[in-house]
Amino acid sequence: MSAVASEQDCAPPDEFKTKLHGKPNVDALNDLGVWFASHEKYACAADAFGSSLQTDAAQPGLPHVVFEFGASLYLSGNTKEAVPSLQEAERLGYRDEKLHMILAAALDSTQAVTEAEAEWRKALDFDPENNAALEALSSDLLTQGDNQATIELLDTPRLAAQRSAQQTINLGTAYAKAGKLDEARRVLADGLNTNPDSYEVAQQLAGVLTQLDRKDQAAMVMQLAESRKRQNAAQAGK
Amino acid sequence: MVPGFKSSPSRRLRVVAAAVVSLLGAVSLCTLPHRVAPAYAASNASQTLLPISIDYPESGSIFPPGITPPTFLWRDAAGVSWTIDISFADGAQPVHVTTKGERMHIGEIDPQTVSDSNQPPKLNAQQAATWTWTPDAKVWSEIQARSVTGPATFTITGYRDGQAAWSQSRVTFTTSKDEVGAPIFYRDVPLMPSAGVNGVVSPLATSSIPLIHWRLRDIRKPESHTVLKDMPTCANCHSFSADGKTFGMDIDGPANDKGLYAVVPVQKHMKVASKDMLHWNTEGSVGKVRVGFMSQVSPNSRYVLSTFAGPTVKSMMDSYFVTNFLDYRFLQVFYPTRGILEYYDRNDGLRHALPGADDPKYVQTDGVWSHDGKWIVFARAEARDPRPKGQPAALHALDGNETQIQYELYRIPFNDGKGGTPERIVGASRNGMSNNFPKISPDGKWIVFVQCKNGQLMRPDSQLYILPFRGGAARRLRANTRLMNSWHSFSPNGRWLVFSSKARSPYTQMYLTHIDADGNDSPAILIDNATAANRAVNIPEFANIPADGIDDINVDVADEATRIANSKAESTPKTTGSGKR
Repeated sequence: MSAVASEQDCAPPDEFKTKLHGKPNVDALNDLGVWFASHEKYACAADAFGSSLQTDAAQPGLPHVVFEFGASLYLSGNTKEAVPSLQEAERLGYRDEKLHMILAAALDSTQAVTEAEAEWRKALDFDPENNAALEALSSDLLTQGDNQATIELLDTPRLAAQRSAQQTINLGTAYAKAGKLDEARRVLADGLNTNPDSYEVAQQLAGVLTQLDRKDQAAMVMQLAESRKRQNAAQAGK
Repeated sequence: MVPGFKSSPSRRLRVVAAAVVSLLGAVSLCTLPHRVAPAYAASNASQTLLPISIDYPESGSIFPPGITPPTFLWRDAAGVSWTIDISFADGAQPVHVTTKGERMHIGEIDPQTVSDSNQPPKLNAQQAATWTWTPDAKVWSEIQARSVTGPATFTITGYRDGQAAWSQSRVTFTTSKDEVGAPIFYRDVPLMPSAGVNGVVSPLATSSIPLIHWRLRDIRKPESHTVLKDMPTCANCHSFSADGKTFGMDIDGPANDKGLYAVVPVQKHMKVASKDMLHWNTEGSVGKVRVGFMSQVSPNSRYVLSTFAGPTVKSMMDSYFVTNFLDYRFLQVFYPTRGILEYYDRNDGLRHALPGADDPKYVQTDGVWSHDGKWIVFARAEARDPRPKGQPAALHALDGNETQIQYELYRIPFNDGKGGTPERIVGASRNGMSNNFPKISPDGKWIVFVQCKNGQLMRPDSQLYILPFRGGAARRLRANTRLMNSWHSFSPNGRWLVFSSKARSPYTQMYLTHIDADGNDSPAILIDNATAANRAVNIPEFANIPADGIDDINVDVADEATRIANSKAESTPKTTGSGKR
C-alpha cells in the first residue's frame, strides 16, 4: 500500500469481501478500483488498479486499466508517478479525451510545457470547444512567448461565441504583446460584453485603451468595473 | 472509473494575468481622468462611448420581404436600458423604441426527444450575456417597407442611469425586392444516438424513428406545417423536380437497407403507396448492395439520378465510410468511397450507368442536375477501401482516423443519358480540401458547394463557396456561420439560398442568404422557430410550389417492405451497363 493510501481508509466495502478473499482476480480488483474512485478515494483506487496490473500485466482491456491507474495516481496527488502510467496508457492505444486532459495537466504541473501542449491539443481534437483545454493551452503558449500561436488558437469564429473571461484575457494579452493594440481592444471589448462581471477583463481593456490614448473610454471601463464590483459585493452580502 | 475531470485554473494562469496587467500598466480610477457623463454625440460616439456587440443581424444583412420579425441580439456590459433608433435612407420618420431588453432564452422543448444520449440546449457564454428585442409585426412591416430602396440603420444606445449614454453601436440592413417565393421542405429530427445491446451505436433507435417529422415552411408565417410524421421506417434525402411537380424520397426498406425510392406527383394531399416505389436492388434480392445515395429527380421528372456501389462492390461496407458516435452534436460520419452515378428512367423502368461518371477507379457521387437538364455536376475522388485494415476506429467527427477522402467537383453533359467526358471544375478541385454537395443556380450561372477538410455531410468545418458554373475562383460565402454550413438549396428564382448550421446550437437550425446577379451573398438570416429547441432541422430544400402546396403526405408502404423481404422479386429495375465497369 502506498504512503498516501495508508492515510486513507482503504478497507473494501462489505460487498467486495467475498470477491477479494484469497487471491482476488483482476476483475475484482478493477471493480474495487472503480468503487474507490467513485467515492473519491483515489489513493486506494490507485492501489487496487496497481494490484490488478501486478496480478496480470496482459489482462483484457489493459490500456484502460493502465489509464485508470495513472488517473487515480494523479487525482491522489501523485503526479510524478502518474505521468509515466498515463503515457503508457497512451502508448498502449488508449484513446479518450480525459486521458489527454489529465496527462496534460500532470505534465504542466511538472513544468513539461512542450509535452503538455501536445496533450492539450490532442484533447482539443476530441472537442475543439473544451474550455479547460483552451484556457490551459493558451496559457502555456503565452508562457512560452508564442503570441501568434495563442492568437491562432483562440481567435477563431468557432470560439468567438463562447470565449471565457480567461481565454479573452489570454487572447488580449497575445495581441497586446504582439503590438496589435486595436485587435486587443476589439477582443477585450467584446469579451467584456460577454463577461461583464470580469474585473480582470475590464482592467486589461482599460490598459489597452490607455495605450491607445482613449483615456475617457478607459475611465468609463474602470468606473463600470468598480460599480459592478460594488454591486456584486453588495448582492453577495445580502 | 475516474470521474469527470475538470482542470482547475492553474497557478500559471494567474501569473499570466498578473504579467498582463504589469505589461500594460496598472490601471485604476486614480490614474485616469474621472469620467464626465458624455453628451450623446453620434459623430464621435465610437471614440467616446463603449461599443455594444450587436450579434444579429450582422451589418449588411438582407432580409427577404415578408419574413416574420427577427429578434435583434446584442451584448452590452454597460447598459441596463437602451434606446433603439432605426433610421432610413429615404429620410422617413425613424423608428424610436426604449427597451429594458429581454434575456435570450431557450425555446420550447419537445419532451419526446429528451434523452440520456443528448443534452438539453443551453446558452453559450455569448448567448447568456445577450439581450434581445423583437419588433412587433406592424413595426417590422414598416421597417421592411422603408428599407428596400436604401439601407436602414439600427442604432442602439445603452444607458445606466437614464440620462447619460454609456455605450452604442449600429448596423445597417436592407430588405430585398426579391421574394423568396417558395416554401422550404425539410426534415425535423431528434438527436438521440443510441447504443444497442452489442454496443453498436446507431444515429437513432428504431423505436424513435416515428419521431422524425417532415415540415413545410413559408417564411412569412411564424411556424412550420408538419406534412409527415409517424413513419414506421426511416426516410432520408428528398428531392423535388425543378417545376415542383414531382417529389422523390429515399425510404429505407427492410433491415434498414435503404433500398427503396418513392416518386410521386406533388399534390395538396399526397399519398406514397407501394406502387410508387422504385426498388434499387440490382438482383431483386434483399441483402445485396441496394443503397441509393443523394438521389435527385431530374428537372423534367423523367429521371432519378443517384449514387450506387456499382457491380464490382459486394457490400455496402465496401463502399461507405460510416461511423456513428454517441456525441449527439455530430453523431454520424457518412460518405461514399466507391460508387458510380446511375440514372433511373421512369419511362422504361431501367437503371443505367451514366458514362463519364461510372468509372470504378473513382467514387462518383452527389450528382445534381442543371435546371435545363443538360448538365450533371458531381463530386469525384479516387476510389478506396472505406476501412483499410488496421485503421483504428474514428472516435469523433474529424478524428484523424477517419478514412481520408477529398472530393473534387466535375461536370459532364447528360446528353440524353449518353454522358460524356468529365471535366474537372477549376476552383472546386486540387485545393487540398474536400469539395462536395454541389448545387447549381436555376439560371445556370453558379455552383454553390461545400468545402471541408475531409469527406462530406455533417462536417463541423464545412463552409459554403460559390463559383461560376464553368469554374474559376471560388469565393467563400459571407453567410457562413461559425459551425457547420451545408445542406443548401436555391430558391426557384435563384435569389435565395437556404442552408443549415449549428451556429447557435448543436440542434441544427436553418438560415437564408440573398444571392445577387453577380453571385454576392449577404450575412445569414435565421429562420426562426423551425422546430423545437431540442430538435434539428436538416436537408432543407426549396420546393417550387405554392406556400400551402402540400398539406399532408401519407406513406403506406409497410406492406411493400414486407413483400420485398419475403420475395426474391420480380418488378425490379434492371441495370444496363455502359461506359467503364
